[in-house]
Amino acid sequence: MAIDLNLSESEEMLRKGALDFLRRDAPNKVIQVLQGTDTGYTEDLWRKTAGMGWLGIIIPEQYGGTGNSLTSAGVLFEALGTGPLPGPYFSSGILGSLLVLEAGNEKQKKSVLPDVAEGKKILTLALTEPEYSWEPRGIQLSAEKNKDGFVLNGIKLFVMDAQAATHLIVAARTAKGTDPAKGISLFLVDRKSEGVSVRRLPGFLADSTFEVKLDSVKVPRSAVLGDIDGGWPALKQSIDKAIPVLCAYKVGGCQALFDMTLQYSRTRIQFGMPIGRFQRVQDMIIEMIDHLDAARWSTYEALWKLDTQRPAAESIHLAKTISSEAYWEVCNLAIRVFSGIGYSVDHPASFHLRASRRLYSYLGEPSYHRQQLGQLLMA
Amino acid sequence: MDFSPPEFTKEQEEFAKEVNAWLDENMPEGMTFPRDPLKVSHEQFEKRREFARRIGRKGWLYPSHPRKYGGGGLDAAHSAVIMREVAKRGLGLPPFHAAGAAYGVPVTLAFGTEEQKRSLLPPILRDGAVTWELFTEPEAGSDEANQQTNALRHTRDKDYFIVNGTKIFVGGLYSPPDIFLLLTRSDLEAPRHENLAMFLAPANLPGVEIIPLDLFVPGPFGGVSGQSTVGADGIKYQVNFDDVRIHESYLIGGERDGWKVANAALEVEHAVRQDRGEPRGAFVGASPRNFIAQRFLERCKNDPNIVKRLKENPQLVDSVVNVYIGAEKERLYSIRNAGRKGGVYGGTQAQLYSKVFALTLLHEIAKVLGPYTLTSDDEWGLDDSLFEVGQRGALCLAPMGTPEITKIVIARLLSIGR
Repeated sequence: MAIDLNLSESEEMLRKGALDFLRRDAPNKVIQVLQGTDTGYTEDLWRKTAGMGWLGIIIPEQYGGTGNSLTSAGVLFEALGTGPLPGPYFSSGILGSLLVLEAGNEKQKKSVLPDVAEGKKILTLALTEPEYSWEPRGIQLSAEKNKDGFVLNGIKLFVMDAQAATHLIVAARTAKGTDPAKGISLFLVDRKSEGVSVRRLPGFLADSTFEVKLDSVKVPRSAVLGDIDGGWPALKQSIDKAIPVLCAYKVGGCQALFDMTLQYSRTRIQFGMPIGRFQRVQDMIIEMIDHLDAARWSTYEALWKLDTQRPAAESIHLAKTISSEAYWEVCNLAIRVFSGIGYSVDHPASFHLRASRRLYSYLGEPSYHRQQLGQLLMA
Repeated sequence: MDFSPPEFTKEQEEFAKEVNAWLDENMPEGMTFPRDPLKVSHEQFEKRREFARRIGRKGWLYPSHPRKYGGGGLDAAHSAVIMREVAKRGLGLPPFHAAGAAYGVPVTLAFGTEEQKRSLLPPILRDGAVTWELFTEPEAGSDEANQQTNALRHTRDKDYFIVNGTKIFVGGLYSPPDIFLLLTRSDLEAPRHENLAMFLAPANLPGVEIIPLDLFVPGPFGGVSGQSTVGADGIKYQVNFDDVRIHESYLIGGERDGWKVANAALEVEHAVRQDRGEPRGAFVGASPRNFIAQRFLERCKNDPNIVKRLKENPQLVDSVVNVYIGAEKERLYSIRNAGRKGGVYGGTQAQLYSKVFALTLLHEIAKVLGPYTLTSDDEWGLDDSLFEVGQRGALCLAPMGTPEITKIVIARLLSIGR
């Protein structure tokens, strides 16, 4: 055994294919428009990505997907992150799929996952509420049992891709007790159900995050993914596996920002010379390397550990902490180098700025993951 | 991808048995390894020198260098075994400060004549000569090309250079060394970078004066942060040259090639960092995670006093997490470099990070351990003064280039603005 950080041949092809797709079908002008829409995608793009198997990349072949590893998914999402390509690719193809795989019964897997892989169903997780927490105690939206199933009441806030989704996976509380991790159930809710309303949250940096109101939404018993009251373990497991793939998307963003800033340092002339000759500018670009490489290798180590069934908890929290801060800071540094033109809404630095802020807290802000690390280190 | 640390092959493990058997027979008795390199006695230093002579005669002091010049002529696989087994016993190869050899041997191989290789290298590679690198001067620190120590041809005995000047912050445990790798100014008229000469010369020439400096730093942090501090320099010196006569046979390269030779030495340093996949100065065989960070994290988990302190002061857990994250980043940069994914900047960037992280690391440790990190007391000091030595070592940022110079190097490697 030896350290080998090379991509496999298939991973290299996947990476190249995704980068070619972005260049050809989603250049900067397209991304700018997509970021302004409620769904983040067009039917044409969605169909193309479904055709390439990207929407079912981690779904096992028996459920209509291509059955790739999480590392392969990371490679794909790193490439998509260079755009950064908006849209529910992660929400549905990664996190949503993982939730069904981890929590769903065989019938649910067979009925949902093939449609996800083909792009006919789009999933998104609705977990956080106004109190905003990724811990079990933050899940308070009520799901009361009745003779036909359950009735859901409450608000989910800062939900990703809710407008694009055909189905929401709603984490709700079906029982209260001393342990907040018990009594959580996962419900697969048709977004067009009566009582479901979705509103895009305003704010340039909020990007595609939504308020979802559930007002006496009736769902049948069959909508429960997995066990009633026992949804938290599968929810946590799914989120843990999804996190490094999200981190890879941020790595792609950091890489794109580094590349464009380095190039700009060579072409922007001020005081008679490229601005990259000034040490203050050099310092900012060199600082980017620390963020970028730390994010990259912590992410891929976490993916490797998950794919090889090694204990990965510390690596996952580490990767999320590092990559969230990295994407945030690299955006700051890039915009400082680009200065005025970096403020423009049609400049790619601004696309990444929106993505870096929107994704900073998603699946747990750095302070949450640092807290988890602290508990693991002290255990 | 595979992040697994490399494992030795069966053949390597068999060779390791042979190495261990030899070490059992030949390690001098009574060797000790104080945490603080400033506490290594002269007697202990002589034991290290004796070990170097013994292992040099075996060809294992510099195992991968050419056999015909006194090295072992071994491949990387066998060299790695020897280094690992020696490291397990608390030593490095060589077992003392050897910057002069680390740079001097490769540049002699690259620029020296065959006669020079046959005469100058065996004392280092086989006989364990202590070799100091003498580049830094009072006016030539980061600006290494600004040499003021002159080596000018004698007007009558033209095959001799007469050397006058001062070198500072050079050397290591202990003086006097045997050989100098000496950078000088050889031409007072020529333009900068075309006016320097490099010598690999005896250190015991008349007119050489060696004065120890009284510094608080025990050596570069990379040297003091490992399981042993043998990589640390310990003591630094000022070396004065007063009309010292050096024969031209010790001149490496041409009379005005000193800058080219010095830069080649720096290239060797970068390549060594990249090849080893570890920050420069990190002790071979050390834990994959920074040793000081690792010991601190273990204490936070297992030392009842510290566990209690962390429970009663939960805000301090943030410092523990900062140490963990920083040490993991350092480890991942090593892996990146070992996997040859550091591009043009990998080794240099890892060195930069390690130096800057060392300051943060010891600061965060001090927040949790308080004044325990400041004492080397036998009763109250922790881990054989590991943290006390680390506090001083973290400030030793200048060797092998300050962080600021390192950033300039990275900028050039990346062609920022070019």
